[in-house]
Amino acid sequence: MTEGNPVETNHTKQPRRWGVIFAWALVLALLGTLGFGLARAQQGSIGVGSSVPDFTLTTFEGDEIRVADLRGQVVLLNFWASWCTTCELEARELEQVYQMYKDRGVVFLGIDYVDTEPEALAYLEQYGITYPNGPDLGTRISQAFRIRGVPETYIVGSDGRVADVMIGPYPSLQEIITDLEAVLGP
Amino acid sequence: MIANVGCSSLAMAFLAALYGAIAAAYGARRARPRYVESARHAMLLTWPLVTVSALAIIWLLVSGDYQIHYVASVTSNSMPTYLKVTALWGGQAGSLVFWSWLMAAFASAAGIRKWHRDRELLPWVVVVTMVTLAFFLGLVVFFENPFARLWLTPEGRQVTALFQPRGTTPLIPSDGQGLNPLLRHPGMIIHPPTLYLGFVSFVVPYAFAIAALVTGRTDDRWVRITRRWTLVAWLFLSLGLILGGRWAYDVLGWGGYWGWDPVEIAALMPWLTGTAFLHSVMVQEKKGMLKRWNVILIILTYALVIFGTFLTRSGVLSSVHAFAQSAIGPLFFLFIGVTFVASLSLLIKRWDDLKSENQLGSIVSREALFLFNNLLFMGILAVCFWGVIFPLISELFTGQKVTVGPPFYERANSPLGIGLLLLMAIAPLSVFGQTSWKLLGRALWKPLALSFMVPFFSALRGTTNLGALLGYWVISLITLVTLYEFWRGALARRRRHGESLPVALWKLTSRNRRRYGGYVIHLGVVLMVLGVIGIEIFQTETQGTLVQGEQLTLDRYTMIYESLTQFDTQDGRNVTRAVVSVFRDGKNVGELYPRRDFYYSSQQPMTIPGVRSTLEDDFYVLLVGWESIGLSGATFKVYHNPLVNFLWIGGLVFILGTMVAAWPDRGPEPVLKLAKKRAATARSKIGGLR
Repeated sequence: MTEGNPVETNHTKQPRRWGVIFAWALVLALLGTLGFGLARAQQGSIGVGSSVPDFTLTTFEGDEIRVADLRGQVVLLNFWASWCTTCELEARELEQVYQMYKDRGVVFLGIDYVDTEPEALAYLEQYGITYPNGPDLGTRISQAFRIRGVPETYIVGSDGRVADVMIGPYPSLQEIITDLEAVLGP
Repeated sequence: MIANVGCSSLAMAFLAALYGAIAAAYGARRARPRYVESARHAMLLTWPLVTVSALAIIWLLVSGDYQIHYVASVTSNSMPTYLKVTALWGGQAGSLVFWSWLMAAFASAAGIRKWHRDRELLPWVVVVTMVTLAFFLGLVVFFENPFARLWLTPEGRQVTALFQPRGTTPLIPSDGQGLNPLLRHPGMIIHPPTLYLGFVSFVVPYAFAIAALVTGRTDDRWVRITRRWTLVAWLFLSLGLILGGRWAYDVLGWGGYWGWDPVEIAALMPWLTGTAFLHSVMVQEKKGMLKRWNVILIILTYALVIFGTFLTRSGVLSSVHAFAQSAIGPLFFLFIGVTFVASLSLLIKRWDDLKSENQLGSIVSREALFLFNNLLFMGILAVCFWGVIFPLISELFTGQKVTVGPPFYERANSPLGIGLLLLMAIAPLSVFGQTSWKLLGRALWKPLALSFMVPFFSALRGTTNLGALLGYWVISLITLVTLYEFWRGALARRRRHGESLPVALWKLTSRNRRRYGGYVIHLGVVLMVLGVIGIEIFQTETQGTLVQGEQLTLDRYTMIYESLTQFDTQDGRNVTRAVVSVFRDGKNVGELYPRRDFYYSSQQPMTIPGVRSTLEDDFYVLLVGWESIGLSGATFKVYHNPLVNFLWIGGLVFILGTMVAAWPDRGPEPVLKLAKKRAATARSKIGGLR
């Protein structure tokens, strides 16, 4: 232990400074990244009571729908993707509820998150979905909502504020109806 | 009253920890033993104080004092008493108290044991453990106080505060929200505490390593003291991971046991570095090498423990495990920063003192193979770390959060894992110091030749999957080599002492617990790998919507949907339960009852699979949907999981092996003798040089 190897000492002296610099750089970079992540997390996501971020959805059919124009109506926004297996669990149910409520002025919008158009269209056809759907180009909409993943569903009240948030798929048809009824009121 | 007692003892514990840290540092720096002794007393006081506080919380939980915000948020009237008790770790505030309680217990245990022998190191151990404890207790006292009460303002707003704000009246809800239904599983009752135990007990080896760096006592002392601590920490961490897998399999209803969720990975990462440490520390004990590396590993392990806790509690990453967002994120960030910077500075300061006493001999020597083992573990760690941190990096540079999924981890980690398994097969046959390929080859060839039999016969029986055949080969080789080691050792004992074979085997194991316990762990890993091969390669699944009397077939199994019932239970659930008959090769093997529980209080559903479990396979049925009218049609998702139970059996063997290895020795520490021997050899070498 006390007998240092002179060859080894010369050999290790020089790279040591770079090693130290590298170690510090690594630790600081890590702390920087964590700090950034923390700052983002502190913003939180859009929750019940927040006003809905404004966006324009271009549907697969080419229509443009602006959320601000829908003020006064109850809007259900569903984030989904064709690759998302849990989205399939609620796909048919969402369409069923849409059929029940479309005449009561409830608007359904499907926002397709990080997807390819042919697969997305095949998905819509497979589950017989008829309400307007469009791609989230450049993930702008999902970033505005700071979604955690898909599926996520936001029900916006007629006052333009988020009235209900569902993270993950709805467990059953009944739960979509209950949530929607709660927003529509008596 | 009870709440006040609990709260004040929590505050006192915080002050005691803070005082302990300061007094110990002052006493050690200025060489004032009185201060160090007083710091030790403060440290020993923390545990009873936190115990009082934890008992107070349990009392409040069980008695249903819903004015306490924490009680209202994690319990409800309908919950059974044992769940009310375990709700202590069901939410953020309570689990922080629980964590502090364990931390205080471990710190006290370290302080009681051999205080007079390690006088040099222990003051700094007190500093490190008490700073950590004070941090956690500070979080609890000032930011996440479990004793905060609910109050109602004149405007009808609900506020949470420790003391009654002016103009408010106490708010006492008649019932609480109840524990998250996902956590109401027997596995969940022990999974978090075991993981916490694992996490917290790594603080002690870290504290000793830091103490060694501060005092400049960079010999093997810290390694020797903390060897068993590390094994115990590792035992609990392993148990926590295994129980978590079992819980996921039983409750999360996706037919799997491991989902590469960020928090699972956060718990796996310290386990990886801990495992690497347990191997490389043997090289330091035997050869005086890898000293720097061992310090780095233990620092890394502790850093990863804190990092993992930070990830779960700060809301930085989304996961099924994440606690609700809270104010403690920035404080945790600060604590991580201080830990990283302080550890790195100390390491750099003592770098030159931590030089190796020996040089690496042969490339197939035991120490070289342990080094490879460490490199592979570090490879897996790098993959995991990159996967966890990548969403943050991608968001930082591109503005988009991109997560990597299980395929990334599986593809990157599989070759590294196979490498580790191969090392596990070869290393037991290699020896420390000079060894040659020839010697190793001579020991290896018989088990190697035999190991090809298993894949050969399974190929003959129709297994065509190359991955599975490769897996079978590797685990057969490990099994043969390990059993051969037991056999060889027992035979040698029989020859030397004339013992019968079972006695020789027993004595062999009990005299070299760490080595043979380690081999038992290896056998546990073999069984677990068999389970993993079964579920990863041979799992099949199907789903279908059936009306009553219809059937669904998967592999050799057929299930018939018999009936569906819906009812309410006493503990606030609405249960939808299906009855299915299961046939294997056309023979009726019983009924299964997959069900969906809907918890009224938390408005959350939970899917409980119906499982037919045998050593050969699991037939796993999930009820995923049904028609609300008439209850005639129902949708099932069905999995066939061959060999999966070997995963759990292997887990048990694994834990058993760790217990064997960690069991306390009677008599003098064998390592002490070894270190003396090593020092004597080094001295004679130096003498020879002169």
